[in-house]
Amino acid sequence: MDKIARIDMGAAGGPKVTMEEVGEYVGLGGRALTSLLIAKEVHPLCHALGAENKLVFAPGMLSGTAGAMTGRLSVGCKSPLTGTIKESNAGGQAAQVLARLGYAAIILEGKPASDDLYKIHVNKDGIQISVDNSLKLLDNYPLVDKLRKEYGDKVAYITIGTAGERKLLAASIACTDPELRPTRHCGRGGVGAVMGAKGVKAIILDDAGMKMRPPKEPEKYRDANRKFVEGLRKHPVTGEGLPAYGTNVLTNVLNEAGGYPTYNFKTGQFATSAKLSGEAQAELEIKRGGTATHGCHRGCVIQCSGIYNDKDGHYLTKQPEYETVWSHGGHCGIDDLDTVARLDFMDDNIGVDTIEMGVTIGVAMDAGIIEFGDKEGAIRLMEEVGKGTPLGRVLGCGAAVTGKVYGVERVPVVKDQALPAYDPRAIQGIGVTYATTTMGADHTAGYAIATNILKVGGDVDPLKTEGQVELSRNLQIATAAIDSTGMCLFIAFAIMDQPETFQALLDMLGAFYGITMTGDDVVALGKKVLSAERDFNARAGFTKQHDRLPRFFYTEPIAPHNQTFMMKDEELDEVFNW
Amino acid sequence: MKLEIRLFAGLRCGNPELPCYGQSECDLEVPEGTTIRELRTILAIDPAISLLSMVNNHHEHEEWVLKDNDRVGMFPPIGGG
Repeated sequence: MDKIARIDMGAAGGPKVTMEEVGEYVGLGGRALTSLLIAKEVHPLCHALGAENKLVFAPGMLSGTAGAMTGRLSVGCKSPLTGTIKESNAGGQAAQVLARLGYAAIILEGKPASDDLYKIHVNKDGIQISVDNSLKLLDNYPLVDKLRKEYGDKVAYITIGTAGERKLLAASIACTDPELRPTRHCGRGGVGAVMGAKGVKAIILDDAGMKMRPPKEPEKYRDANRKFVEGLRKHPVTGEGLPAYGTNVLTNVLNEAGGYPTYNFKTGQFATSAKLSGEAQAELEIKRGGTATHGCHRGCVIQCSGIYNDKDGHYLTKQPEYETVWSHGGHCGIDDLDTVARLDFMDDNIGVDTIEMGVTIGVAMDAGIIEFGDKEGAIRLMEEVGKGTPLGRVLGCGAAVTGKVYGVERVPVVKDQALPAYDPRAIQGIGVTYATTTMGADHTAGYAIATNILKVGGDVDPLKTEGQVELSRNLQIATAAIDSTGMCLFIAFAIMDQPETFQALLDMLGAFYGITMTGDDVVALGKKVLSAERDFNARAGFTKQHDRLPRFFYTEPIAPHNQTFMMKDEELDEVFNW
Repeated sequence: MKLEIRLFAGLRCGNPELPCYGQSECDLEVPEGTTIRELRTILAIDPAISLLSMVNNHHEHEEWVLKDNDRVGMFPPIGGG
């Protein structure tokens, strides 16, 4: 990864590629690279869909190597949804292939003058950009099918659906999985709309003729990777729970803890949540000839995904994640896995964030557009998004926009990004992260659920305020660093509990780059990333008053614990005071 | 006293002498003063599994003394997100 490609989509005479050395970003990857670059190069007050914004694709520091779990691709820009800096990452094959092609980053800049739609083909010979208006208004699945006829199956595709073309604020960027299904999405923050604004429909990555990235110290790297994999296989979460049931194993535990937001955050438990559980989902997947164990990229040893078939045994979608099952399920009062699976497919196909869309439909239910529990109604609303009708465009711009258009007071967003699947009144720690993260409400930014609910990496009482600021701070720092490595965040369950597995990760980084890497170095990297992101947000006009939850979380207690969000503003303001 | 038992993520009652043997949901009569640790022994759950236990929606430790009509949820180590 010794080069950066800048593609000026607005250049006179058509898109122009400029290659440059990696320069000051040497040794960086993933979120560290996207955020430092955006913070430095993008005007914080620019329009996110305008020529001044940039869209950065960056594989992680260890992507493209033989290391396990290194397949995360980071996409960075100014977010059209939140107005903040944004890093959204996904699995799939793209990061590995892009890294093997030698790119630390591909940056889309400028804005085309015409309505032409472009595809970008990257291989060992360089980058070719061509107009292909035959791709217009294709959703992700048919789009990839069409591209496969031209580019084949030994490539990775990065695409946007119709939502991205229409520049809807919930639009995602899809990455294909090993079976070339467009199922792994940089979902959050409307990054797909930025790609649409750049006029790019697809990026085709072909690493034929390229080799894996070689470590500086190959034997040491191999040994560290072996210990790292052993640690992941040994830990019960990464070695047993996630492979067997996927992320949706969380439905029952969150419901049992009273932190499962139901009916648009009106109560903390869903009476029929068991029908949506990971256990029920895995059983159904296996019964229908799918699988409950599947990796989103080659080199994944956790295998938390799956294949969800319909009643006739035909592929319907990949295994819907916990967040998706919640947002389209309990949040909307829907307890039918087949409906959730259909909506998951529609999200992936249209190219929208499953969290944002599910939460938005729940807000639409609160507005009375359809009733809570209306399965067919939810599908109809998603069809509106796919068609790009006026209602569909409103919904496709997310919960905050929908709430404003329909006069809904209970709109669960921070910085206009929808809250994920954990109620901050029952789990105070995750509320700290929602409020303060640089990304807008985002559970992954500092996953306090691990320690508040799952008792991984310690035990902090979810119903009390004590210890939550420190917990969220430490998790946000660690996450910013992990998001930079290209590692799947689920490795955190093992490295938080097993010092030897954390050491193995440090040794992988050290051996690859020929340096000594310590825990302090990881902390310093995380702080550097967060500081750059905070600085961008401050220059974009965000203040501490934006680091708050919507007022209803402070005023409406939620059952069964009958608590509000109790963290004081002054406590939230201490999160980044390190 | 009677308890409402919910076992999750593959946990099952492993005691063949109980009517709920092999099941993950049951109402069970246990002696007064039974603790969570004693309950897992009664249910014959593999002692090697580190359990996460919730009583009436609250996390509780293994020495917690259960009361009549408590709902007890037990989980092996799990994660996601």
